[in-house]
Amino acid sequence: MTLFTKPECRLCDQLKNRFDLKGMNVNIEVLDTGDAGALAHLAWHGLVETARKTLPILVLDDSSTVDDFSDIEARLMNRADQFGIKYNDSTGKAQVCETGACAIN
Amino acid sequence: MGVVMPLQKAMKKSFKQVDKDDSTDLALFVRTSEEDIIGWNRQRIVNALLRETFIDRDTAERISIDVEKTVQNSALKTVTGPLIRELVNAKLLELGLEEARRMHTRLGVPLYDVDHLLVQHNKENANVPHGPEATNLTLAEGIKKEYALLHVFTTDVADAHLNGDMHLHDLGFIDRPYCSGQSLEYVKKFGLNLPNSLAMAKPAKHADVLLAHMVKFAAALQSHFAGAIGWDAVNLFYAPYLDEMSDRQVKQLAQMLIYEFSQQAVARGGQAIFSDINIYWEVPKHFVDVPAIGPGGEYTGKTYGEYEKQAQRFAWALFEVYKEGDGAGRPFFFPKPLVHITEKFFKTEGHMDFLNHICEVASVKGNTYFVFDRGDTAKISECCRLSFKLEASDLEDAKEPWRMRYSALQNVTINLPRLAYKAKGDDTKLFTLLTEQIKLAAKAHEQKKKFIEKLMELGKGGPLAMLAMDLDGNSYLRLERCSYLMGMVGLNELLKVHTGEELHDSEESLKFGLKVIAHMNIVCNKMAEQLGMKFVLEQTPAESTAYRFAKLDMAHHPDETTKVIQGDTESGEIYYTNSTLFNVGAKMNPIARVEKEGLLHPLIEAGSITHVWLGEAKPDKEALADFVIKTFRHTNNDQIAFSPEFTCCLDCGKTGRGITDTCQYCGSEKIDGITRITGYFTKISSWNKGKLGELHDRYRNDKCFVTK
Repeated sequence: MTLFTKPECRLCDQLKNRFDLKGMNVNIEVLDTGDAGALAHLAWHGLVETARKTLPILVLDDSSTVDDFSDIEARLMNRADQFGIKYNDSTGKAQVCETGACAIN
Repeated sequence: MGVVMPLQKAMKKSFKQVDKDDSTDLALFVRTSEEDIIGWNRQRIVNALLRETFIDRDTAERISIDVEKTVQNSALKTVTGPLIRELVNAKLLELGLEEARRMHTRLGVPLYDVDHLLVQHNKENANVPHGPEATNLTLAEGIKKEYALLHVFTTDVADAHLNGDMHLHDLGFIDRPYCSGQSLEYVKKFGLNLPNSLAMAKPAKHADVLLAHMVKFAAALQSHFAGAIGWDAVNLFYAPYLDEMSDRQVKQLAQMLIYEFSQQAVARGGQAIFSDINIYWEVPKHFVDVPAIGPGGEYTGKTYGEYEKQAQRFAWALFEVYKEGDGAGRPFFFPKPLVHITEKFFKTEGHMDFLNHICEVASVKGNTYFVFDRGDTAKISECCRLSFKLEASDLEDAKEPWRMRYSALQNVTINLPRLAYKAKGDDTKLFTLLTEQIKLAAKAHEQKKKFIEKLMELGKGGPLAMLAMDLDGNSYLRLERCSYLMGMVGLNELLKVHTGEELHDSEESLKFGLKVIAHMNIVCNKMAEQLGMKFVLEQTPAESTAYRFAKLDMAHHPDETTKVIQGDTESGEIYYTNSTLFNVGAKMNPIARVEKEGLLHPLIEAGSITHVWLGEAKPDKEALADFVIKTFRHTNNDQIAFSPEFTCCLDCGKTGRGITDTCQYCGSEKIDGITRITGYFTKISSWNKGKLGELHDRYRNDKCFVTK
């Protein structure tokens, strides 16, 4: 399972703060930092155009993808439960990106 | 001396010979470049040196005296301006004045080469026929190429081009931007009002006059751009002129358009205008509410959204003409029709009939290009793969479509296999070398930009007057909106060297290929931010570049190159695989090729294409339509084209399917093949050796589709 994120992406940070992603065996890929490997991984999953519109994006173990934020949260909650890992309560903040920073350039 | 000195009255001047025992006076004459014969005057050498270089007068005088002595001792009665210049340059070299020598150098072509050029076909561009106009073009290009490498680009950039680290495209057109995309609205609104034209035409009132304006404007544009001339939403913008026209008249108009662009063999060097027409079945979202311009350049009172049926009528008619082919049944080479497949396409009535129609053309003649605009992406396409994604500011311009003018100023292509040779398997070194090469390419772009800016500053009195015309308040060439293309050749061979596998060999190889292109994407974005220039990756068409790089690497890196080069080394038909394409000979299912090549496409923002070579197969239109839909829905592929092959007989004039050694009808051996070279159809007899090698290797998907 892989979560594609980028710096200054509020929604991405929300997930990182809420869940112990490493403990849940969720690989975090950080885009827009000059990491060609992360961008190539995104391209491998055919998600470059999606990421240009919205982040975060979750790639599941079967390589299917989720880009709806609520859906991502639900999947991660499920995952945390499977791993028996606790997670923080939801911040209650709006699940939309107000700044437009939640997408790659 | 030479080109810039004014004509002078012929003078006689005596010399005393060096041998003082013989005091015979000699008369010496100079053939100048102004087609005159004048008397020898040493001062002209001094004046030229002072004018053209930075050396001081004393040195100039000394050189002129030395050259005069040399000429005197040669016992020549008449010398030429070029010879004197060569003697002066030799002196400059002797004195170690290399910079002055460079500035004083003469550009040109040896007599021997001109002799050959006049009789032998130059196959660098398969689109340029052989004839007096073409040789004029080649000779002029040669001089401008030298000028560019000496005077526009710095030595490091020029050397990188000359030794094959990278390729600066269209150096022979250094004083032009690379390619352009525009809207017919410009001609509809402003008429035909070109600088240096002997007559001005008001906006057209009738469709056939509009066509005449479009063709002339395209020809004028072709002489101001090095590459393709693209037209946006052609069928839509003609629509307001079609109201009173019967179906037969619309078909006639379609025929005229296609024949005009196919037969305009006077645009440059005797070649047809390299033209692309973008076609939409639906009315693109950004044009729906735009007030339509019609006859006389007046608003019709309707919006383009109300012209959908007329636009569709014209689109249908165009493809009927493409399906018929020309008078000999051959596919039309130009204009290239690019049909945009969008979400809205699938929601527009009649789309399946139209899709089948254009797929039938793709099967029968191969003309159709399928451009995939997924999501909200809108594009204007030119050339075989180059496209400009319309940004928010562009969509704002869509309200006044005549403002939608786009250009790429230059293309610089990087030799990827060579980087792999130098990296010797070290990832860090490979990416470091790649970064350095991109930075150098960016430097080349800066220098080209500076040069074009200088020419544009001369405004309407300068050489780019047409691009400086500002009928809508902005110069036609919107420099601030230009893109700068970074291309690549031989990703496949880079991987073969670096990982031991080709793109199609394994997932790991493809993933590494993705990383290479991702790296290029990232570095381009960084350079764009640093320099304030829009660098974008493009899949270089590489018609001659793939061959050029292959030859240079065989010369400079023979051991490494021999192991990975494609083609046949014995015949010299060698090449690197174009851009990010998979090995053309790989036995891949076409959908797999489209899918896997498509993974790279989103990283290459200025456009990509996958070719599906058909050989002699003529698939069912429904099979191709299904393929197109699958490509749109289930891949990230940017654009596809199906390429059948044909053989034309020069004796009986008939055209058969597939590439054969003799005519299928009369058995004659006087035949020529036709198929797509990189992104356009042309005769195989005009292809360079590298492309012939590639043609031999292409895997034909002739058993992969259903045929009736």
